Amino acid sequence: MFSDFMLTHAWLIPLLPALAFLWIGFFTRLHKKRSAAIAITMSSLSFLLACGVTWAVLSGPITMETPFVQKTLWFEIGSVRIFMGSLVDPLTAMMLMVVTMVSLLVQIYSVGYMAHDPGAGRFFAFLSLFAASMLGLVIAVNFAQLYVFWELVGLCSYLLIGFYYDKVSAREAAKKAFITTRIGDFGLLLGILLLQITFGTLDFQELKVLVPAYIWISGTSFMTIVGLLLFIGPIGKSGQFPLHVWLPDAMEGPTPVSALIHAATMVVAGVYLVGRAYFIFSALPVVMNVIAWLGGFTAFFAATIALTQRPIKRILAYSTISQLGYMMLALGVGSLTASMFHLMTHAFFKALLFLCAGAVIEAMQDEADIFKMGGLRKKMPVTFAAMTIGVLAISGLPPFAGFFSKDEILGAAAAVSTPLYLLGTLTAFLTAFYMARLLFVTFFGEASPGCPATETNAFMRWPLIVLAVLSCVSGLWGHFAGFGEWVYFGAAEETGIDWVIAGTSTVLSLVAIGLAYEIYVAKRWSAYEISQRFGVLYTLSFNKYYIDEFYTLLRRTFCDGLGRILYWIDLHVIDGIVNGLARLVGVLSTIFTFLQNGQVQRYVAVFYGGVIVLVAYSLFYAYKVLTLLGGAF
Amino acid sequence: MNFLAIGTEIAIALLMLIVLAADLLLPKDVSHRRIGVISMVGLAVILVYTFGQYHIGASPTFFGGLFFVDNYALFFKQLFIIGMLFTILFSLEYTEKLLRYRGEFYVLLLSALLGMCVMASANDFITTFVGLELMTVSFYILVGARMTSEDSSEAAVKYLIVGAASTAVMLYGMSLVYGAAGSLVFSEVCRNIHLFYAAGLAGVIMVIIGFFFKLSVIPFHMWAPDVYQGAPTPVTALLAMGSKAAGIAVFMRILYTAFPILGNFWLPLLAGFAALCMIGGNIMAIRQTDIKRMLAYSSIAQAGYMMVGMAAADLAGMKAVLFYAMLYVFANLGAFAVLTVIDTERGGTSRRDITGLAQAAPLLAAVMTISLLSMAGIPPTAGFAGKLYLFTAVVERGYLWLAFVGFVMSMISVYYYLMVAKAMYRDLTPEEAEYAAPVYVPLTVRAAVLVSVFATLGLGICPEWLASLTNAAVQTFMR
Amino acid sequence: MNDLILSLHRLIDMGMTMAEELGTPEIILAAVFYVFAGISVLGALGVVLGRNIVHSALCLTASFIGIGCLYIFLSADFLGAVQFLVYGGAVAILIVMAIMLTRREDMAHSNPSRSIPHQLAALVVAGMFLLAMAAVALMSPFQTAPADIGDTVTGIADLMLTKYVLPFEIVAVLLLIAMIGAIILAKGVDES
Repeated sequence: MFSDFMLTHAWLIPLLPALAFLWIGFFTRLHKKRSAAIAITMSSLSFLLACGVTWAVLSGPITMETPFVQKTLWFEIGSVRIFMGSLVDPLTAMMLMVVTMVSLLVQIYSVGYMAHDPGAGRFFAFLSLFAASMLGLVIAVNFAQLYVFWELVGLCSYLLIGFYYDKVSAREAAKKAFITTRIGDFGLLLGILLLQITFGTLDFQELKVLVPAYIWISGTSFMTIVGLLLFIGPIGKSGQFPLHVWLPDAMEGPTPVSALIHAATMVVAGVYLVGRAYFIFSALPVVMNVIAWLGGFTAFFAATIALTQRPIKRILAYSTISQLGYMMLALGVGSLTASMFHLMTHAFFKALLFLCAGAVIEAMQDEADIFKMGGLRKKMPVTFAAMTIGVLAISGLPPFAGFFSKDEILGAAAAVSTPLYLLGTLTAFLTAFYMARLLFVTFFGEASPGCPATETNAFMRWPLIVLAVLSCVSGLWGHFAGFGEWVYFGAAEETGIDWVIAGTSTVLSLVAIGLAYEIYVAKRWSAYEISQRFGVLYTLSFNKYYIDEFYTLLRRTFCDGLGRILYWIDLHVIDGIVNGLARLVGVLSTIFTFLQNGQVQRYVAVFYGGVIVLVAYSLFYAYKVLTLLGGAF
Repeated sequence: MNFLAIGTEIAIALLMLIVLAADLLLPKDVSHRRIGVISMVGLAVILVYTFGQYHIGASPTFFGGLFFVDNYALFFKQLFIIGMLFTILFSLEYTEKLLRYRGEFYVLLLSALLGMCVMASANDFITTFVGLELMTVSFYILVGARMTSEDSSEAAVKYLIVGAASTAVMLYGMSLVYGAAGSLVFSEVCRNIHLFYAAGLAGVIMVIIGFFFKLSVIPFHMWAPDVYQGAPTPVTALLAMGSKAAGIAVFMRILYTAFPILGNFWLPLLAGFAALCMIGGNIMAIRQTDIKRMLAYSSIAQAGYMMVGMAAADLAGMKAVLFYAMLYVFANLGAFAVLTVIDTERGGTSRRDITGLAQAAPLLAAVMTISLLSMAGIPPTAGFAGKLYLFTAVVERGYLWLAFVGFVMSMISVYYYLMVAKAMYRDLTPEEAEYAAPVYVPLTVRAAVLVSVFATLGLGICPEWLASLTNAAVQTFMR
Repeated sequence: MNDLILSLHRLIDMGMTMAEELGTPEIILAAVFYVFAGISVLGALGVVLGRNIVHSALCLTASFIGIGCLYIFLSADFLGAVQFLVYGGAVAILIVMAIMLTRREDMAHSNPSRSIPHQLAALVVAGMFLLAMAAVALMSPFQTAPADIGDTVTGIADLMLTKYVLPFEIVAVLLLIAMIGAIILAKGVDES
C-alpha cells in the first residue's frame, strides 16, 4: 500500500520545488526568510518523498528491468503522441535521493551564506527551480520530457551563474555556460529527432525493445551516428573535453550554486543521460570506445590543469571535470554500476568540498587564491575537518566513499583495456596530489597577520557535517549493501574489491599526499623551482592548455568576420526593412485612429462600407457561378 | 416535445425569475451580495447538470430539430456558464460598490446567458435570431448599467445604434437566404442549390456580416473599443468571452451545417478577414494606454486567431477553435478580475492605474501577467497549446501564409502585453510611492483568479484534458 | 381597423378586376406596389432629413403605414393590422409623447443635420448599397409561392404555438428583459 502510494506520487517530487519557485517568484521574492523557509520546506518534503520512493523500490518488485512507469498524454499533434510521466527504477531512485538530499543541504547552507545578500529571495526561487528541473529530468519517461527539463537545467544554470548580474565576469560566465552547453544540446536534439523519425517513439521502455531489434536487423552503422549525436549533449553538459571550458568559469556564481552544479543538478545530468539511454550506447561498440577514451582523456587532462591553478574553486572545478571523466570512462568500459556508484559518492564529497570552499572564501572575505590563505586549521576547525574528509574521499583512501567507487571504475577499466586503466590510475595519483596541495596550502602553514577568518555559522556548519558523514559512509554502505545488485545494466554486478588494483591506487594516493606534504608543508622542495624545471608543461597547465584562447581565436576569425558581414547586412538591409515596417505601422495607426473618432455616425458608415464591399464580392461570385454554368438551372 | 432538451434553458430562466423575485423581497439598503450568491449557486448546479448531458449517439432535439442539444452545444453552454459564474464571483464587490441597480444587474446577466445558450443550440435562423437578440438586448442595458458614468451611457447608446444596424443587415440576410433556399432550418437550407444565385450569396454574406459584427471583425469592429472601455468592467469581460464565444458557436454551426456547399465562397473570406483582424487588431492595440481598450483591440486579434481555425474547415480546426475559445475564457477571467479590482479600488483601468501592482497586490500582478501571456501564446500557458492547435490545423489545409501571419502577429502582440507587465513590475519612483500601498483584494476575487490561473497553466501543461472534451464536442460534425 | 383593411382589400380587388378587364394586371399590381413602397421609403427619408423632430416622427408614422399597406398587399392581413395598430398607432404616439417630454421651446432645429460632406458620404454609401441590392435582385430568379395562403391569423398562431414555440417563449423573456431595462434606464440615478 505505502509503496504503491509512493510510486504513484513520484511526480510530486519535482513538482514541489517547482511550486516553491512559483510561490517565491510571485509572492515572497522580497522576503528573504519567508522565501528560504518555503524553499527548504518544499525541498524537505520532496526529500522525504524520495526516501519513500527509494524504500518502495528497495522493498518492492522493482528492478532495472521492471521499472514502475506512469504516464499521461501530454499533447498530440497529428500522429505524434507525446507523453509525460514518471519512470521509477533503482537508478531513478538513487538519483532522486542524491539530488533531493544535496539540494536540500545546499539550500540550508545558503540560508547562512546568502544572509546578507539583498537578492536572496530570487536566489532561493532559482535554486528551487534548478532542483525541480533536475528532478523532472531524472524521472522522465521519454526523451522529449527529458529534453525539456534538460534545457530548463541549462536555463537555471544560466540564471544562477549570472546571479551577480552587475558583475561583468559573472554575466560573461553565464553566457559562456549557456552557449557552450547549447552547442552540445543541439547535437542531442538532432539525435532525439533521428530517434523519433526512425522509431516513431521516444519512450525509453519502447525504445529498449526497438533499438536492439533494429540493430540486429540493419547493423550498427546508422545507430552509431545517432549515438554520437546523443553523446554530444552529455559532452557539453557534463563538461567533457572539448566543451569543458564553461565549467571552471561557472564558479562566478555564488558558491552554493557551484556546489549544486558540480555535485547534483547540472553536470551529472549528462552522465545520467548516458546511463538512462545505456541500452542504446552499450549496443554500439564504436560509441562506447569514444565514451571511454574521451572520459579517460578528460579525467587525466583536467587533473593536469588542476595541479597548477590557484583559486580554490577553480581547482575544485577542474577536479569535477576530472571526476566526470571517470564516470564517463566507467560507462564507456561497460560498467553502469561503477559509474553511478561514483556519481553518488562524488555528489556527496564534491558538495562537501565546495561548501567548505564557500565557507573558507566567506571567512576570507572573498579571497579565493589559496596561496593568500594558510593556517586556517585552527581558526576553522569544523571546516578543516570536513575538508579533510572530502579530500581523503576524493583521493580514494579507504574507508572513505571515493575509495570504493573509484576502485570499481579502475577494476572495470582494467578488465577492458590496460591503457585506460593506466590512465585512470595516473589520474588518481594526480588527483590525490592536487587535492592534498589544496588542503595543505589552505589550512596548514602560518596564518597571515590580520586574517579575519572565524568559524562559520550553524546554518552553514550542519550541512557540512552531514555531508562529511555521508562522504565517510556512503562508500561503505554501497559496497556492503550491494549497490551493484541494485543499479546495473545487463547482469547484476558483484561488488568485490580487486585488492591489487585497490592497493596500487591507495599506495599511489598516499605517495602523492606525502609528496604534497613535503612540498607545501615541510617545504623540502621549492614549488617554484619545480615549476621552473617543468617550464613549458607548467605554463601549458597553468594556462589551461590555451584552450580558451584557442576558442577566442576561432571566434575572432570566424564568428567576428562573419559577424561583421552580417552586421553590414543588418544595418543596411534589415534595418531598412524594419524601419520601413515601423513607419508603416505608424501610418496604419494614424489611419485607423482617424476612422476611430468616436462618432457613431462614422462607425455606421464604415460598417455599411464593409457591407457594400462584401455584397459586391458576393455579386462577383454569383456572376462567376452563372458564367460557369452558362445560365443553367 | 422533449423538455429534457431545453432543461438547461428552463433552469436558467427559472433562476432568473428567482433572482428577480429575491431582489424585490430584499430591502433596498442591504447588501445584494446574497443575490449574487444565489445566482452562482444556481449556475454551479446547472453546470454540474450539463456535464451529465454529454452523450454518445443521437442528440436530443426539440421540435423537429429546430433546437439541438449535441455535445457541441453542451461544450459552449458550459463555457458560457463558467464565464458567467466566475464573472459574478469576481464582480460581487464591484457590483455592490459601483452599480445602482444591483439585483437587476444579475437578472440581466442571466438573461444574456440564456440568450447565449439558446444560440449554442439553435438549429434554425429564427431561434438563432431570437437568442442573439435576447443576448444583445441584455448587453445593451448591461453596458449602460453604470448610471453614474457618462462613458457607460455613451457606450450603451453607441452599441445600441451600431448593433441595430448590424441586426438589420443580418435580418435582411436571413430573409434573402429564406427567399433563395425556401427554408429557415440549417439542415434544409444546405440542400438548396438556389443558394448559388446572387440573392442566396448576398443573404449568406449578410448573415456572415452579422456575426462578424459580434466577433468585432475589422471593419465591423468600430464599436468595440468604445464599448469595451465604457462598459462596466465585468460586462466588458462578458462581452469579450461570452458574447464572442456565442457568436462563434452559432457562426461555426451555420457555416458548417447550413452553408457547407458554399465553402469555396466563404473560406477565402474567412482566411482574409482572419489575417486582417490579426494584423489590424494587434497593430492598433500597440498604441493604447487604457487596458480595457487595449484588450478590445486584442480581442479583435483573438477573433482573428479563432477564425484561422474556422478557415481550416475540418474537425481539427473546429477542435482548435473550441479549445481556444475555452482557454480565452480563462485568460479573460484572470485579466478582467484584476481590472475589476483595479477599477473598484483606483477608479480606472489605464496603464497608470496598474502601476506598482506587483507591490500593491502581488497575486493580482502575477495573475494579470499569466493571463496576458496566455493571450500572447507563450508556453507553458494554455494560449501556446491553443495557438499550436490552430496553426497546425490550418497549415495542414494548405494555408501556410495564414499561419505565418498569425505567428508574426503573436510575436508583435507580446510587446503590448508585456508593456502591461512592465507597468506592474517596474520599480516605483519616489513620487509614485502611493501606488505601493496594498490594494484590498476580496476573497471571492482571490478564488476566481486562482481558478483561472490554475486552468491556464494546467491546460498549458497538459492540454489533453480539454482536448478530450473538444473531441466529444465535434462529434456532431463527423459525417 | 377591420373596416380599413376591408376597404383596402376592396380597393385592390377593384383594381384587379379593372386590370383584368383591360388585360394588364401586372402593370396595375406594380403601380400599387410602387405607391405603397414609395410611401414607406419617402417617409423613412423624411425621418432622416427632417429638420424638425416632430416632422420626423410624423414621417416615421407614414413609413409604418406604408409598410402596413405592403403587408396587406401581400395578403398578410394580420401582420398589416398589427403594423397599423402597434406601429402606426401606439409606437408613433409613444415617440411623440417622448419628444414632448423633452420640453424644448422651439422644435425648428431639433433634428440637426450634418455638414454637406457628411451628407454626401451618407448619400454615396446609401446609393451604393441600393445599387448592390438592386443588382442582387436582378441577378437572381426568385421562387414564387402560391398567392392565396388563406387565414393568416390561424396560420401564424399555429406556427407560434407548435413549430416555433421555443422562439416564441424566448421572445417573451426578451420582452421582460426589455421592460426591466427600460425601467432601470428610465429611473436613472437621481431617485435617491
